[in-house]
Amino acid sequence: MRDLSLVLHGIAIKKYGTAEQVADITGLEPDRVETLLAEAVEKGRVSEAKGKYMLTPAAQITLKGEYAKAYGDLREDADFMAAYEEFERINVEFKQLITQWQTMEVGGQTVANDHSDPDYDADIIDRLGEVHERVERVLDRLAAKEPRMTRYKEKLLEALEKSEDGDHKWVSDATIDSYHTVWFELHEDLLRVVGREREE
Amino acid sequence: MADSDDTTQGALEGRWVLALDGSRLPERELIGGKAWSIARMRTLDLPVPPAFVVTTAACAEYLRTGDLPEGLDDEIDAGIRWLEERTGRSFGEGDSPMLVSVRSGAAISMPGMMDTVLNLGINEDTMRALAAESGDERFARDTYRRFYELYAQIVLKATPPPLDPDDDLEAWREAIEAAAPGATAGGVRDQLRDTVRAVFDSWTSRRAKRYRKHHDIPDDLGTAVTVQAMVFGNLDQRSGTGVLFTRNPLTGEREPYGEYLPQAQGEDVVSGKFTPRTLDEMHNSVPDAHEQLLVAARTLEEANGDVQDIEFTVQHGVLYLLQARAAKRAPAAAVRIAVDMQRDGVIDPDEALRRVAPAQVHSLLSPRLSDGAAESAECVAQGQGACPGIGIGTVVTSADEAERRAGEGEDVVLASATTSPDDVHGMLAARAVITELGGSTSHAAVVGRALGLPSVVGCGEGTVTALAGETVTVDGTEGRVYRGALDVVVPDERDDDRLRELLEWAAERSPLAVHRPDDAPEGDIVDLDAAADGADPDKLGDLIAGRDGARGGAIASEEGVAAALAAGLRFIVAEPTLPPLLAAVHADQTAQSESKTD
Repeated sequence: MRDLSLVLHGIAIKKYGTAEQVADITGLEPDRVETLLAEAVEKGRVSEAKGKYMLTPAAQITLKGEYAKAYGDLREDADFMAAYEEFERINVEFKQLITQWQTMEVGGQTVANDHSDPDYDADIIDRLGEVHERVERVLDRLAAKEPRMTRYKEKLLEALEKSEDGDHKWVSDATIDSYHTVWFELHEDLLRVVGREREE
Repeated sequence: MADSDDTTQGALEGRWVLALDGSRLPERELIGGKAWSIARMRTLDLPVPPAFVVTTAACAEYLRTGDLPEGLDDEIDAGIRWLEERTGRSFGEGDSPMLVSVRSGAAISMPGMMDTVLNLGINEDTMRALAAESGDERFARDTYRRFYELYAQIVLKATPPPLDPDDDLEAWREAIEAAAPGATAGGVRDQLRDTVRAVFDSWTSRRAKRYRKHHDIPDDLGTAVTVQAMVFGNLDQRSGTGVLFTRNPLTGEREPYGEYLPQAQGEDVVSGKFTPRTLDEMHNSVPDAHEQLLVAARTLEEANGDVQDIEFTVQHGVLYLLQARAAKRAPAAAVRIAVDMQRDGVIDPDEALRRVAPAQVHSLLSPRLSDGAAESAECVAQGQGACPGIGIGTVVTSADEAERRAGEGEDVVLASATTSPDDVHGMLAARAVITELGGSTSHAAVVGRALGLPSVVGCGEGTVTALAGETVTVDGTEGRVYRGALDVVVPDERDDDRLRELLEWAAERSPLAVHRPDDAPEGDIVDLDAAADGADPDKLGDLIAGRDGARGGAIASEEGVAAALAAGLRFIVAEPTLPPLLAAVHADQTAQSESKTD
């Protein structure tokens, strides 16, 4: 995609993101992102509030058209799509794992995980690491066709290692680039690339 | 299984492989934690399916040379023959096939080690034999399918698509081979050897290496591999599977609590497809196994000094314990069990305090609807409670509106068909979130729990968004939404005799005094609610330095208490007092155990 479209794409993924966050997720230079954002605001494609950006409704529609053009080949690419399907399969396991992180079964009933049992938490983080080993292989296959996918591999590993080091908010805290936040953005990114809707 | 007497058959004691027959308890360093607990259960004379272990010495040799050690293949074969003798079944062939589970296990449990592979030993022949023996073709096919799904994922690190239970074996093999080339090529002995090798390899995975580095664990210890015969709970009417808690894990009551599923395998209990029976009903169908189970429950609780969660299977009327571990427990049970076990003289007050987390006490004392409030109220929506707690406010249907009105000081409840990352800013501002679609893994549920926000999801299309503008009370524990603002009560820690007991013990031991607001001493007290940076955890240390005491902000949280201890405060002011007291006692206990090991 052209840099401007990539910036819009970055905002679509990182809702209410700052210029810094858009640069981080797209891999573009921060200065370049600032310039393009100013341009996009000028053109009425992006609105800005307190240094955070969102797409205007018109830009959302234009962006969808851009995807079809930019990613038409990828959508036909058997290797890329097979890797994408494998990601969706791992995603099902991942969502269950995050639920287990947040809740626990006690005598057949679901209660909130109050993180009072370090062994339970360590086990989930270990299984997250197992999922990560498989998703890394998938991301390598995706990145062979769309190199910016490598960025997610780095960001996921970063969140994983912080979680492994005992800072548990890096598992699923929605307000930071936790493992769940980055995974969710990766999923959103892939859905846009392949032109599908999220299933709840 | 034919015989559980350990002395009649030949011993298995090779250079790399040892039997876990209960005749002795080998060093944990040599056989790893999992094999050690099997061996220990055998020494307590508890019934466990036969197992042998490939020792950490074999792994160390593998790490040194890069190859499986010489003679290991033969010793594993001898181990399999030993299991065959003891079970009266045969590996990879015959009318009564023996399947095994393969588990990693180092002396110190650590992340990154390979997960358990189940049902190894299944192939086309043994699948047919198992179908004939159990009279359940579906079960035999499922066993085959599940083995390959796990083997591809765990040993070969691929994620094959879920196999369609109705497809034939050829279609399954194709799907597996597409995701994990070579998975179906070898025989059961090759698969066993490759699985042992994969366990050894997991010792050098990124996670395991990183963990050892952080914890100063030598890299050359190695892991053991436990190979255990599997037992079947679905062979006849006198077979079954179940779970027993030695006390009720929700309330803490002393009665054994559990369920039993006749003629079923372990996965059936989890699947929810069958309704489990009570343990009393187990008594009717397999009385001997039931009696033995209750004895085993007492033995294990006594030997381990804590409430146990025991998984078991009954095969042809004979009981086998699969696993026993300290039971997870709900907050109410944690308090009751800790105090009861102290009263019974099983543990001392220090240990009782260690077993109750501040968050558990917080949860017990969190606001709830007053008695009778729900009965007289109108329930306007009902779904799945995704995050417990009570939230009251005016229903708004967009995240932007929620953020704006909350910013003006109004209490709002965010209602939406579903939520997405677009809505997180609204959820941050709301008192509760309610959705129409999605279950416990939906975005609203996941984010709601992450924020500790009372959440009810999946109330049904058109239900909650229709409440726009109304004041509602959301009960995230019960999964209900009521019209109006209901009466909420805050439980008092002094009203419960067990909490009072914990309070007394904690107050005697705490290195930091905690006073209720109506009972606060005079002195130089900083109020964090009034301080400009009072909510900033990084500034906490500076704000309280040199003071006598502190109140407000996050001072009563575990981080706040740690900061108060570090700054040398004499006291803090908070309510309830038990959570910060526990945090202070725990910090002190940790410091003492660290100074002991240093």
